[in-house]
Amino acid sequence: MTSQNRQIAMVFDLNKCIGCQTCSVACKVLWTRNEGTDYQWWCTVNTVPGQGSPKGWEAMGGGYKDDTLTLGKLPERSEFGGGWDFNYDEVFYGKGKGAGGGQVPLRVKGEQPTWGPNWDEDQGGGKYPNSYYYYLPRLCNHCTRPACVEACPSKAMYKRPEDGIVLRDEAKCEGSQDCAKACPYKKIFFNHERGVSQHCIMCLPRIEDGVAPACARQCPGRAVFVGFLDDTSGPIHKLVNEWKVAMPLHPEYGTKPNMYYVPPIGPKPINADGSIDEDTNRIPDALLEEQFGPDVHQALATLQGEMAKTREGGKSALMDILIAYQWKELFSEFTVDPVDVEQEGQ
Amino acid sequence: MSKNAETGTYRGIDDIYRENWKWDKVAWASHCIDCYPGNCPMRVYVKDGIAWREEPAAVFPQIEKGVPDLNPMGCQKGAGWTRTLYGKDRVLYPLKRVGERGEGKWERVSWDQAATEIADAVLDAVEEKGPESVIAPSGCNMHTWGLLGRPLYMGGIGGLTMDVNAEMNDFAPGHYLTYGAFDPVSSIDDWFHAGIILIWHANPVYTRIPHYHFIAEARYKGAEVYTIAPDASPSAVHADYHYGLTPGSDAAFSLSMAQVVVEEGLVDETFAREQTDLPLLMNPETKCYLRESEMEDGGSDEQFYVWDLKTKEAIKAPRGTLFWGDIEPALTGTFSVTTNSGTVELQTVLTQMLPRLENYKPELATKICNIHPDAIRALARKIASRRTKVICSLSNAGKHYHGDLMERAQLLLFGLTGNWGKQGTGVQAWTGAFFDGAMTLVAKQSKGPAELAMMLDMIDAGNAEARAKDPTLTEAMIKIEAAKNSDNGGMVPPVFFWYRHAGCKDSWQKKEWHDPSMKREFDEYFQEAVEKDWWAGQDFPREEQTPRVLIECGGNVLRRTRGGSKMLLEHLWPELNMIVSLDIRMSATGLHSDFVLPIANQYEKIGFGIPSTHTMNLTFCDRAIEPPGEAVNEYEAFRRLSEKLEERAKARNFQPYTDARGGEHNLTECHTKFTRNGQFLDEDMMADEMIRDTAFLGAIPSNASLDDLREKGYYRWEGLGIAVRAHSQATDPAPDETFAPFRKHVEGGEPWPTLSRRAQFLIEHPWFIEADEHLPIHKDPPQIGGDYPFQVASGHNRWSIHSLNTANHLMLETHRGAPHVVINDEDAARLNIEDNEEIRIFNDQGEYFVPALISPSAQPGQIVMYNGFDNYQFKDWKGPNDAEPGMVKWLHMAGGYGHLKYYSMNWQPCAIMRNTHVGIEKIS
Repeated sequence: MTSQNRQIAMVFDLNKCIGCQTCSVACKVLWTRNEGTDYQWWCTVNTVPGQGSPKGWEAMGGGYKDDTLTLGKLPERSEFGGGWDFNYDEVFYGKGKGAGGGQVPLRVKGEQPTWGPNWDEDQGGGKYPNSYYYYLPRLCNHCTRPACVEACPSKAMYKRPEDGIVLRDEAKCEGSQDCAKACPYKKIFFNHERGVSQHCIMCLPRIEDGVAPACARQCPGRAVFVGFLDDTSGPIHKLVNEWKVAMPLHPEYGTKPNMYYVPPIGPKPINADGSIDEDTNRIPDALLEEQFGPDVHQALATLQGEMAKTREGGKSALMDILIAYQWKELFSEFTVDPVDVEQEGQ
Repeated sequence: MSKNAETGTYRGIDDIYRENWKWDKVAWASHCIDCYPGNCPMRVYVKDGIAWREEPAAVFPQIEKGVPDLNPMGCQKGAGWTRTLYGKDRVLYPLKRVGERGEGKWERVSWDQAATEIADAVLDAVEEKGPESVIAPSGCNMHTWGLLGRPLYMGGIGGLTMDVNAEMNDFAPGHYLTYGAFDPVSSIDDWFHAGIILIWHANPVYTRIPHYHFIAEARYKGAEVYTIAPDASPSAVHADYHYGLTPGSDAAFSLSMAQVVVEEGLVDETFAREQTDLPLLMNPETKCYLRESEMEDGGSDEQFYVWDLKTKEAIKAPRGTLFWGDIEPALTGTFSVTTNSGTVELQTVLTQMLPRLENYKPELATKICNIHPDAIRALARKIASRRTKVICSLSNAGKHYHGDLMERAQLLLFGLTGNWGKQGTGVQAWTGAFFDGAMTLVAKQSKGPAELAMMLDMIDAGNAEARAKDPTLTEAMIKIEAAKNSDNGGMVPPVFFWYRHAGCKDSWQKKEWHDPSMKREFDEYFQEAVEKDWWAGQDFPREEQTPRVLIECGGNVLRRTRGGSKMLLEHLWPELNMIVSLDIRMSATGLHSDFVLPIANQYEKIGFGIPSTHTMNLTFCDRAIEPPGEAVNEYEAFRRLSEKLEERAKARNFQPYTDARGGEHNLTECHTKFTRNGQFLDEDMMADEMIRDTAFLGAIPSNASLDDLREKGYYRWEGLGIAVRAHSQATDPAPDETFAPFRKHVEGGEPWPTLSRRAQFLIEHPWFIEADEHLPIHKDPPQIGGDYPFQVASGHNRWSIHSLNTANHLMLETHRGAPHVVINDEDAARLNIEDNEEIRIFNDQGEYFVPALISPSAQPGQIVMYNGFDNYQFKDWKGPNDAEPGMVKWLHMAGGYGHLKYYSMNWQPCAIMRNTHVGIEKIS
């Protein structure tokens, strides 16, 4: 890792993502288990269309407008939700009966939540039978032009030249939360106990050990690719730059994000008479363009063209990449098994 | 481990993060619970004696060239399992109830005190009502140690253990009727070979998280994915087509496709002739096959005929092979045959089926299933031309009242189109076999392989004896017959317990909740079945054997039982003098128990996943840390109960007795028998014994041992072993191929374990003929629950395995932290229901309260109430089962005919819950 100005990126194949939350839980168990991080889900998977997490994040602003940094809304704690404490003791031990004599159910203590990390799961859009949705995993985009870094008044944030990972020196962070205002993806959290902002560290200790990030390596859907963008032999470069089927989320935010998405191909719609419309898709093109920009149409055409080839019994190099016959192909050079990572004193 | 910390412009991340990426021990892990098929090899990373975190091991090689490997396998529940170890629902010490049942007042007691009080209750029960009054519900989450300890404990007493397949309702009656075994299971990677994938009666996006990728990858390889479900379910998200059929109309849809296949000449005739009974001759008047006994004096009742197109005569269908040799059987036609009683006009089974199929021409079927005729035809043609596989966790169809009809119709379609016994084809159920050592350890008297060698000799001798009488018997048939004549490890079909003692009688007797073709009262059928001895040896407990002690281990009978806690608390609970829950956590049942005993969780004991051909591996979970508090594994828990039972029996001078089924028991030596004179106590030693025995019996490498497994983490099946359910797969595992069951039938012509020796679509049982179900047909779901406008059509949830994990705070944060019911947006608007508003769901059986999640994905008139939330997550602890009467179909009490006879996990009535009718209302 001697090269400078390299960029690690990830590609999420939305045709493989099943919204199972394994990435979110893997991340949470590993990284946000300490003081003040109870509500922080650095990686979330939400249902699109929907309000996502934090609630309504796409309307909160931030990023660059006309090449100028803009500070958007600071998401409120209630818009993230989560970090819930439940009344286990009340239910299990001795205080089970409510005032009316009926038993008290397991619920969040105190005021009942109205939002959470995955509140609008599987609600989606459309009208039955043409209802539709897809799953969108999101974490810090480790942007090439990180608005958070530029916005930080304490110079606590920086982007590592050797891999492009965006980090924060929490010792220098003064808790202004300008980073969170500037981030258009609203993936920066505030640690209310410690008074510092926090976000996805791209599993830096794992990356240093050659281990793929937890969200990627634990993804049972085999939906997440990892690698350097400039590694022409790796799947990231091929999907992003050669086949151009992996798109950044909201490129118009101007931060040049490094998380890419293979757009979803949903089921065929049902016509009013109950027959099948073989020519279109339940997921509106306009929604995909809104999320991934106008290039998504070409990406979808490429994907569908290659899928048509294999349906006819033909071969497709693109399909082979997306299938990933060997799981480790997903991770480029980051294929070390954590069990092989040397531990101090062993 | 300074890494490149000194290079470039690097500045450190907070030390907290680095600390989280440190550990001092790693062990193999998995979650050997009732997560079927589970078996995800993982590793648990231990730090300072704490199970810190876990991660998929991802060590599988690619099995078959051109097929993706199985890595990484895992899910969010597994990824957050450590949080269940340290969760607030964990039980750490023996607890004794000190308030009313369900009041939540507990006192911590010693194991000794708990075991003593339980022992006296058992002795009292045996004295008062007989050993059949000691009941163990199935408890599917206990695995390795429960499967060893519970049968030893219950067997010592002579108590009754309920058949897990009926309790879980995971039986597939239509498969059983057709195949003689309900449980074909292909390996997960075999999905990749399918050209058409039907996600049908399943929601793999929720329930097959570790395996769904094979569907996505098959799609990229050229397969077309169809999701057939009333709702645009989560598994419709990535499908090419979603067929939103009317709930309960699946049989009509299948029969319609079968009609298209026949009408358009797309039948795979060779396959249908060989594999099915469709060419067999039957009498249209009697609805019965032509039998040798009608043709020859002293002829067999089990020898059937086909019409040979070459010789133009009725010829005996060979019973020893599916291959026809020189015979050219007519698949269709009407033929005059001279029998002992004169000339009769006979037809093939397929010909008898044809007028039925005409009732389901797409233009007619669309009125039932609401799928457009063009869409029916399009899919039928594809199924006939490409390898087609139904993807499901296990057949959910059996959870419908007419699930047998749905399955039989589906199999008819597959039998006509050549879609089983080949890679990339077939339907799925579930199986558990192969890990024979776990079973032999219950029976063997001493360590080592000597007894197994004797057992193998006995099996060989038994096979030889059986084949001397009938050389056409296959090994699977001999094993099934032996199972039918065994005591099934003390398991009985729970139907008798439910009907006589649990309160189900009230709902089952409501004729209006059954199908209109049930001509007589349910009770008349029930009594006829008992009186004719169709369930001889199984129909326990009797009326007078009132249950007195209930021992729940690894299950949650109050949540699971259809009819719900309301029914059980009213009918069963008052009869019980002792209720014990052995569990890792507080469940609804635990909360209503007299004692709750703490059980070690995964990572705190050795464990093995459910051994299945779904995953093809014996998966190992090690004891990475010691159990907390006073938790022990299930074997040790039952051993302690057994030890105290022996002690109290001696003190009370308890005399030996014979149970109602003829088993002899002496409780003054039950613990001695349990441990085989103290030989079997140590967890490692017993695990090693199980592994070595399994190797000896052929399913895993011959040099397998606990030490070796601690290195490797898993073994792939090398052979079938000795278990009946392995042999009914009818395929030998191969090291470099995906597993597809039934290849011996298709490639080798091995006959099926049915009366006709073929996949059997004609069921001649008089009850079936009376109901017009002797051949596949569609019937609308009955009005279960009463006359209410909504139907419950849903399956398992995403966030828990049954109710295990349901209270894990991480899982709760990935949804709304409380149960929800999905209702259609227009229905909600009409009823003025807001999103997340708690509503009342009710019918004539019961009611519950649950917040609504409003989505256009639900079909209007459908509600999706995912299964798995524990009762205590609902207001007043009333779970959804309170409004599910759990009807059983009267025909499933049938016996005395061909292969319709109970053996463990197989032919028996199951309490269904799909298509229950309910009302919804705002709580004003």
